[in-house]
Amino acid sequence: MEEWVLNTIIRGLALGTPLLWAALGEVYAERSGVVNLGVEGMMILGAFSAFALAQTTGNPLLGLLLAAGAGAAGALLHAFVTITLRANQYVSGLALTMLGLGLSALLGRRWEGLPLLETLPEVSAFTYLSLLLAVALWFVLYHTRWGMVVRSAGEAPAAVDTLGVNVALVRYLAVVFGGAMAGVGGGFLSVAYRPSWTEGMTNGLGWIAIAIAIFASWDPLRAVAGAFLFGALFHLSFRLQTWVAPEPLQMMPFAFTILVLAATARRGGRARGAPEALGVPYVRGER
Amino acid sequence: MRWMRTVALVALILLFAVAGPGLAQAKLKVGFIYVGPIGDYGWTHAHDQARRIAERTLPIETLYVESVPEAQVEPFIEKLIQQGARVVFTTSFGFMDGTLAMAKRYPNIIFGHASGFKRNRNMFTYMADFYQIYYLNGLMAGALTKSGKVGYVAAFPIPEVKRHLGAFALGIRAVNPGATVHVRWLFSWFDPAKAKEATEALIAEGADVFAFTEDSPTVIQVAAKKGLPSFSHYSPMQRFAPQHVISGQLVHWEAIYIDFLRKVLAGKYTADNLQNVDYWWLLAEKAVELGGEFGVPINPVWAPKLQAVKVSTQEFGTVSVHDLVMRRLAQMSKKPVAFDPFTGPIRDRKGVLRVPAGKTMTVLELTTMEWAAPGIVGPWPKEP
Amino acid sequence: MMRIGPLEVERRPDPPVTWVLGVSLLAILAAMAASGVIFWSHGVAPLRAYGVIIRGTLFNVRALPEVVRFAIPLLLAGVGLVLAFRALFWNIGAEGQILAGATAATWVALFSPVPDPLKLPAMFLAGFLGGAAWGFLPALLKLRLAVNEVISTLMMNYIALYLVSWLVHGPWKGPQMRGFAFTDEFPPAAQIPLLAGTRIHWVTLLLGILLAGAVAFMLARTRLGFEIRVQGESLDAARYAGIDPTRTTLLVMLFGGGAAGLAGVGEVGGIHHRLLDPNQISLGLGYAAIIVAWLARGSPLAAVLTALFLGVVFTSGDVMKVALQMPARVTDVFNGLILFWLIGSERALYYRVRWVPRREAPAPLPVPDAGAGSGGPGDGE
Repeated sequence: MEEWVLNTIIRGLALGTPLLWAALGEVYAERSGVVNLGVEGMMILGAFSAFALAQTTGNPLLGLLLAAGAGAAGALLHAFVTITLRANQYVSGLALTMLGLGLSALLGRRWEGLPLLETLPEVSAFTYLSLLLAVALWFVLYHTRWGMVVRSAGEAPAAVDTLGVNVALVRYLAVVFGGAMAGVGGGFLSVAYRPSWTEGMTNGLGWIAIAIAIFASWDPLRAVAGAFLFGALFHLSFRLQTWVAPEPLQMMPFAFTILVLAATARRGGRARGAPEALGVPYVRGER
Repeated sequence: MRWMRTVALVALILLFAVAGPGLAQAKLKVGFIYVGPIGDYGWTHAHDQARRIAERTLPIETLYVESVPEAQVEPFIEKLIQQGARVVFTTSFGFMDGTLAMAKRYPNIIFGHASGFKRNRNMFTYMADFYQIYYLNGLMAGALTKSGKVGYVAAFPIPEVKRHLGAFALGIRAVNPGATVHVRWLFSWFDPAKAKEATEALIAEGADVFAFTEDSPTVIQVAAKKGLPSFSHYSPMQRFAPQHVISGQLVHWEAIYIDFLRKVLAGKYTADNLQNVDYWWLLAEKAVELGGEFGVPINPVWAPKLQAVKVSTQEFGTVSVHDLVMRRLAQMSKKPVAFDPFTGPIRDRKGVLRVPAGKTMTVLELTTMEWAAPGIVGPWPKEP
Repeated sequence: MMRIGPLEVERRPDPPVTWVLGVSLLAILAAMAASGVIFWSHGVAPLRAYGVIIRGTLFNVRALPEVVRFAIPLLLAGVGLVLAFRALFWNIGAEGQILAGATAATWVALFSPVPDPLKLPAMFLAGFLGGAAWGFLPALLKLRLAVNEVISTLMMNYIALYLVSWLVHGPWKGPQMRGFAFTDEFPPAAQIPLLAGTRIHWVTLLLGILLAGAVAFMLARTRLGFEIRVQGESLDAARYAGIDPTRTTLLVMLFGGGAAGLAGVGEVGGIHHRLLDPNQISLGLGYAAIIVAWLARGSPLAAVLTALFLGVVFTSGDVMKVALQMPARVTDVFNGLILFWLIGSERALYYRVRWVPRREAPAPLPVPDAGAGSGGPGDGE
């Protein structure tokens, strides 16, 4: 029994770490009012760049740094299109996903089928760093002025604008930060979790990260719970195959997510709803 | 102002439409349709490697299209034919009906369908199968497992995978009658995260040797991190864990492609006489190879351990597993084939007799196999 | 209003169709120019690439049926999404709704006691209901329990995927398919008739066009349509007008899910003639339909055109793969670039550019000294 619990926790941490990074980034982006459905694209760009640099230099940490940059670059494009050009955020995110998947596949051709020589262990200092980061981000979001500014940009941008805050800048920073986080999450996949590169290797994890951000009600600490829970459930869906038919098990993490959302919906506590201005481009002087 | 723009636009389009030269056709053009990306390091990668080898060896010119969804095979075949292809290979079971429809529509073009069963006068079928190699892998796995539990991470519960699992289990039991094969299903040909978690689940259950059907070296890497050995799959994956890969399965689709195309170039195979041409090619035809790296049937790191384990056999007396593997390999590598893993009597894991004594399974039985061999533990969708 | 040299730029909230088309065309050309880098890096001369693509899609008679083949499911799902987005319901679940419709239709085709002549209508009805049910649940969760619809529709996609996977590997696996994960082929009575020599299942196409017309009519002329439009503009205004958001959103999602379900019926009944691996059925069409709906900018009739447009984009990707021997993922880059340029050009839609060269200010007329003031043009009344 103990072995079960311990093992499940470790597996949860392993897969949960990249999910957590991406989810935390999306939490910040959406808190500032911008939906970014391009997480899958940013993660895979991160996975590719991390692998490429780690393979070339032999230093996986440098790879993760580049991954952050790659994710941030993708997010910058999305930010420009949705904040400055005020385009539809959902469609822009989809375009980013497409572009990310395509570019990483084209650029990554010559890195396919190669093992990574220097890898990062998957549950390690990095995992604990991620947990600390989540706590720090939570603290910043709820207990500092910066966090307040980010949240207000998402809840009532017009009000905050009159107080002299540059809503566009805040959103830009939040979205680019989200991209960097997603990039690192993706980099973790190709450098630690499964050290090699294949096109499309994120295989939907970016979408799961978006779901976790929403599941967590845009709260960084809840995102920790969500990410690790999902990792654990994902692992269990294989562990339990000894007793339960595989197909319903595959559905299990997703059905579980909906059930939990439905069950916990009516409880009180911290604000459950989405940031008021989520998804709506801010135009100074309108409404 | 606006009309000027429109005129410019139309002129631009017309300019592009007349640009682009055509190419004169000299060599035989052969088209390949893949179901996945050539970077998948599995099925499609192997076909593409074979294509390149065939192009170097024969006077042909090849075209390929990757990641074609199964329902889109017809328009892509159409396009390849428009580009001048006179032979088209479609490399996935799901392309079967589409390929047949196009074969009927284009009676002068030659079609080849991998892993299918429908043919036509201008359409043949071909397959390179691993079941013999999995048996050999099983012999080794059975000898090397200390816990008696062997892990198998499987993709889909279709006859091909079941047959490989069956051969694997039979091999294990031939050497280690009490061992069990624990299977986990991914329901995907390519999903590194799932493969990883499935392997971890098997490790947690006590499995200490691994084989798999998934288009990535994930299982090998995960097992190697825990110091556990595994078998490479489809592409040479020994390089991903040189100390931990024992052996594996390798494919040489070029053996089939070159043989067939040679006969086409010589006029022996035409668009009229392919109705009964079905390549079911195995070790003896050199379409598959034992090993985790080309030319290395057993990883030298593991050879001593395999030599240390002895088994008593009816045919050869008491031999080391290493010798047994090499002898069986020799028996299956030349014609007439002297040994088949699926030789009766064989009962499935429920005790039902599936192969009577003295008989071997026919190709049809092998390609429609749904039952589970004894020793296999775990879910088995559609078990008869 | 702004002046840039001789150009005058001013806002215009209601651009005419020609302007919209013109700007969009320029955006597409810009995207193609940008993707020239990709072609060039693969050793393909960009101009040759463009020539091949245009000849292979717009000027190739044989390419047109493929364009329509893609446009059919995109149109059906797209119309449903146009409505959903109008009501501000961000339905990412069209993929799952397509699968739900396909599954229901398969049940009718293979396992139900419906007599042959009624099979096709029954399949369409069942598919609509299946898709509607799949869209209903997230809508209900949003309205009753405030569950965000992006996550619920996304989760439903996965659930539908594994449901279909279970069916084709298990209880519905066809005995004739030699163990592979397909159902048996649909009987002829359950196959949607095709236009000769093509893969255009015209019944579904007709259904799609009719649906687009019906929705356009509904939005413009009925009370429900009015309510949906008001709700889409402002939830507050809707509330003040006494519109029940629950009812409108539920109806919109029932319809939207049902329309996507019809797309699924078309795919399995017209193209595949069986149920198979779910990814092969939905093919990412559910996500592409989001683009179709967005490009249509709220007009169900425009969705007919945008669905065709996306059909051309997909077909151009296929041409790139075959004629130019480019890797499959280049289509993703191409489509992504086109999309970004279109999205980015959206702002330009709402401006008007006029050519107004500065006129020389005329010389002041000599004015006889009459009273105070210097006089001159523009001075006082």
